[in-house]
Amino acid sequence: MNPKTLKYILKRIVLALFTIWVVITLTFFVMHAVPGGPFVGEKAVSPAVQKAMEAKYGLDKPLGVQYWTYLTDVIQFRFGPSLKQRGRMVIDIIGDGLRTSAKLGVISAGLATLFGVVLGSVAALRRNTVTDRIIMVITTAFVSMPSFIMGSLLLVTFAVKTHIFPANGSTRAGLVLPIVTLMLYPMAYITRLTRSSMLDVLGQDYIRTARAKGVSGMRIIFGHALKNALIPVITYLGPQLAYIVTGSLVVEQIFAVPGLGRSFVNSITNRDYTLIMGTTIVLATLIVVMNLVSDIMYKIVDPRIHLE
Amino acid sequence: MKKFIALGLSAAMMLSLAACGDSAAGTASADTAASGTETEAAESSTEAAAETTASADSLNVCLASEPASLDPALNTTVDGGTLCLHLFSGLASWRQAEDGSMELVPTCAEELPEGVVNDDGTVTYTYTLRDGLKWSDGKPLTAGDFVFAWNRAASTALAADYGYMFEAVKGYADIWETDADENYVNPDAKLAVEAPDDKTLVVTLNNAIPYWNELLAFPAYLPVREDVVSNEAWATDPSTYVGNGAYVMSGWEHNSVITLKKNDQYVDAAEVTMPEINFYLSDNSNNMLTNFQNGDWQMIDDVPTNEIAALKEQYPEEFKVTGQLGTYYACWNVNQEILPKGSSLTGVEAERAREEIRRAISLLFDRNYIVTNITQAGQVPASSFVAMGLTDADGSEFYQNAGPSDAYNGYYDVSADALESNYNEAIETLKKYYEFDEAKQQFTNVPSLIYLYNTSEGHKAIGEYLQSALAGIGITMNLENQEWNTFIATRKAGDFTLARNGWLGDYNDPISFLDMWVTVSGNNDVQLGKGAHKDLKAYSLDLTDLGYDLKVTDGTWAETYDVLITDIKTCTDKETRYELMHRAEDLLMSTGTICPLYYYTDLFMVDPNLKGFFTSPLGFKYFTYSHF
Repeated sequence: MNPKTLKYILKRIVLALFTIWVVITLTFFVMHAVPGGPFVGEKAVSPAVQKAMEAKYGLDKPLGVQYWTYLTDVIQFRFGPSLKQRGRMVIDIIGDGLRTSAKLGVISAGLATLFGVVLGSVAALRRNTVTDRIIMVITTAFVSMPSFIMGSLLLVTFAVKTHIFPANGSTRAGLVLPIVTLMLYPMAYITRLTRSSMLDVLGQDYIRTARAKGVSGMRIIFGHALKNALIPVITYLGPQLAYIVTGSLVVEQIFAVPGLGRSFVNSITNRDYTLIMGTTIVLATLIVVMNLVSDIMYKIVDPRIHLE
Repeated sequence: MKKFIALGLSAAMMLSLAACGDSAAGTASADTAASGTETEAAESSTEAAAETTASADSLNVCLASEPASLDPALNTTVDGGTLCLHLFSGLASWRQAEDGSMELVPTCAEELPEGVVNDDGTVTYTYTLRDGLKWSDGKPLTAGDFVFAWNRAASTALAADYGYMFEAVKGYADIWETDADENYVNPDAKLAVEAPDDKTLVVTLNNAIPYWNELLAFPAYLPVREDVVSNEAWATDPSTYVGNGAYVMSGWEHNSVITLKKNDQYVDAAEVTMPEINFYLSDNSNNMLTNFQNGDWQMIDDVPTNEIAALKEQYPEEFKVTGQLGTYYACWNVNQEILPKGSSLTGVEAERAREEIRRAISLLFDRNYIVTNITQAGQVPASSFVAMGLTDADGSEFYQNAGPSDAYNGYYDVSADALESNYNEAIETLKKYYEFDEAKQQFTNVPSLIYLYNTSEGHKAIGEYLQSALAGIGITMNLENQEWNTFIATRKAGDFTLARNGWLGDYNDPISFLDMWVTVSGNNDVQLGKGAHKDLKAYSLDLTDLGYDLKVTDGTWAETYDVLITDIKTCTDKETRYELMHRAEDLLMSTGTICPLYYYTDLFMVDPNLKGFFTSPLGFKYFTYSHF
């Protein structure tokens, strides 16, 4: 790797750490500014119990002190205990949720990319034929349909009416419908991206040269055109992967998938401060890292791009 | 040729995806076989489907989402309590009798003896433990384990929400006594619970309480073992979870499912009829219903509110409604001014006027409309704060004996027939304080009110009804909703005029509804005895007819209600105690700050083929003796 690239990556890592610090700071103070607290319930606990709990978790100290303590803990990867799920550590709760969400996200992103690139290439090659039109109509439908409608539709069709898949996402089979729901939008989007950038590339001079030299259609696509046509797809895929890996709340809610998105929202409702912080940090880190990875990927796919 | 294959493959994928989007697709599973990954997924679906199919040996239920804690002392929820009651066995437990009624039976104890009253008025109970009691890891269970568990549950170190369940036990007050700086005065204090030998447990109460045996069946009173709970994370993983109940925890996939298997070490293992129970964890009532309709789950503890009417029709056998010890009500902030601007009334006179106004407004609501058209789950219109289902001294319903009149239950007549007379009475009362436009039949100078509720479709629908009922006579009430945790904080701070409220009793005794209104109570959202109300000498209390040397005329809330509650807690005569509790409720209702709307019910759906399943009045579900 040349020194320029290395310098660029280092710069980006520093910037990423700064971004994460800003996220931590903002979340920490906003979270404490919101009314309510972790030990508040319909049935009030006695002031003595409240005081004992706050002392136990250090919530009785001034906010600045709490912030500093938290920051020094986080640097050592100590996320602390959950305030609401007593006896459980934040890191374990996030680990559990992330495993499920990541499985869901990686599979659906993988399938979306695979199908999207193939369908997009086919549509580009068969431009203005019936095949192209069918692909375009279907992908338009998938892009414009929000996931809560798509999810509910799949749920009604395959779980309620035909009983092909279970409605509960906690079993292996139960993950099929959420995966499909999560997959359809990015797949359709990638199809359209691939199609347009493939059309663009296919019009380039070097492709015409290849054709003139008698290179077969398949080799032109997979040997020459696809690599360049994928650049926009990579741009899209990095952040998108981060979003679906970190858990799609809507889909997790519909199919009762025990993922990270659900525990994030619950942690906010419960004012489970340590869990809110832990989840936010993990989400922010993933998104920052994925962006960085997709930028570096450009460079590998297209040497003409200069990273600065 | 290659190109052809590629195209064919793409076309197949496209078809499979098109099928996914088609609502009439019954052939999707065949189509998805076009892709290797999806085939694998389809196969695993058949495996898992086999796992979840109902069989006589296992039961799939869903009560709620992941419980915050399955430590019996720390648990605060009914669903978590249900799990604890399957995993542990206390001195007593609820059982369903032959005739379907609920009875309290000894479980770890040989029997549930009467207490012996000591000279100082305290009461001592001596329990003998049964032979052969063991923990699920095979170690013997001793009386010392109960001593440890109860002291732990009541301790300041654990600071459990339900620690106050031990309030009746001598020594509890010493443990929690604090000085002016809120430091504990007696760090070494313990409950008066002793184990003279491994099989004998002696406990001393401050005074006789009629519901003592019922407390023994409550999750907070379950035993735990010292070496087990010394690991703070013991209750979060099956490998460290040791109980003494009918079941052992064999698996816990967090946020997904908790699996319970029959405990062979359990002393009454022969009576346990359900070998395995899977408690699925979900908070999505739509998803619960889908799984129930599919037959994957045989019991669900929640249903979507907007489906209730349809479900009652479609599933008359499955849809169940049982009573619950709780009241849904609207509460007023006692310190908010509701008299018209320029009113000349002050002090006690003004408070009397506000009392009348608040009570009059309570009369304007048609509770039958709320339960039949909005909530629709068999709730009962409420006319008192102490809920239906709590018993009086003679075993009759407490709420039926409450209130001023024998003609109806509670503090107002909430029958449909009384609607018109209630309305007329309310209008006449309000006319005394506000200007009334006879032509329009509307009041013109009532200050506009705000009704605060937590964001939820059900609460909103009720708020809208209350709003429309008042709008009819010219009273403007705006609705304001807040997210749950914010709402609770706002209501506790007294930052509202009218707010949605609800209370579920922890045990079958009216004191569990009445002691929350003492001045210092954390649940005193009405702000009685606080702020401007603190010094208001508006209340009278005369207990001389009950043999008490207490007669207060024009006293403050603290001088009357607080004193009354203390007397109830120390009263040892059953008849007198219940009479005192009726007087406390009379005093509370006279303020007009509580507007009861309905008594809660517990609704759930259960497979009619499941026999031997029952539920307690506190909402705990019992599957141990169930079978298909």
